[in-house]
Amino acid sequence: MAQEASKSVDEEITCREVVEWTSAYLDEHVGEDRKQQIALHLAVCAGCETYVKQIAYVRDLVRLLPQVLDSPAESEQVRQAVAAKLRRQ
Amino acid sequence: MNADAITYTESIGQFPSINRKSPAIKSPGLTKAEDAVLSRLRSGNEGAFDELVNKHHSTLIRMAMSYVADREVAEEVVQDTWMAVIESLDRFEGRSSLRTWICGILIHKAKDRGVREKRHTTFSAFESSDDDNEEAVDPSRFQQSGEWAGHWAFPPQPWDDRTPEKLLASQQAVNAMQQAIEALPATLKEVLILRDVEGIEAKEVCEMLKITETNLYVRLHRARERVRQAVETYLGGRTRAV
Repeated sequence: MAQEASKSVDEEITCREVVEWTSAYLDEHVGEDRKQQIALHLAVCAGCETYVKQIAYVRDLVRLLPQVLDSPAESEQVRQAVAAKLRRQ
Repeated sequence: MNADAITYTESIGQFPSINRKSPAIKSPGLTKAEDAVLSRLRSGNEGAFDELVNKHHSTLIRMAMSYVADREVAEEVVQDTWMAVIESLDRFEGRSSLRTWICGILIHKAKDRGVREKRHTTFSAFESSDDDNEEAVDPSRFQQSGEWAGHWAFPPQPWDDRTPEKLLASQQAVNAMQQAIEALPATLKEVLILRDVEGIEAKEVCEMLKITETNLYVRLHRARERVRQAVETYLGGRTRAV
């Protein structure tokens, strides 16, 4: 679990603080009290609700972007080099 | 120091060789599938190595490119990593997963190579810095004083009609996101690649990078926020004051 900040979860949380907790909150890496505190804030703050939604979009989109991939020729080169090494052992 | 760091960095020449005929007891960090692959690798089975390369090579290339700018250099680093994996197989004690161990070797080699490459190149104007004390979002977007101190002054505008699918369909949006990722400093890029692109669990990412979960989420959030900002800018989303 991500370490809790020094501020008590009984005190009201600001938007600035919610922003910093967003990724841990989305990945369910906050304690139950903090989770409830953030959820309550999101229920009444359109700005933070929008922000959290946008970070969730980014988290999900990044995986779908065209990625750097290895080329078959390169993998084959690696395989041959290591196969030669294995044969020498 | 994390035991897995010791496993690689000090294992060369210091740990006793694991007898190739040691009993087939599953080591605690390994999955059942990894345990089977490891046994086959140790018996010199080339097919097992092919499987390992097929499974992890693309991930290693992407990770290497977090640390070195050049694709060709990244390929060299990854090739060195695979050679080191084969050389160190007998010393791998299975306290972490095979993937964590292999990635740990890569990170060590890639960082080392990245440092050497930087000595010969000027600092790229396109690579941003990462200051531990910076907040993810520009503080000027929040009220600085008064009753509403800490609350949004310039909140983000909804992307209502820009669903993830529509954003992906826009080459400009895709370019904006990819450029933002490319510009990330290595400490932010590595966590975004491992956690969000590769989908590796937080605990394993922390093991690989030798960081706490708190560090992970601070860095991950900064990385995600920079990509979010890129999309916001692309959409022309200059925020309105509340």
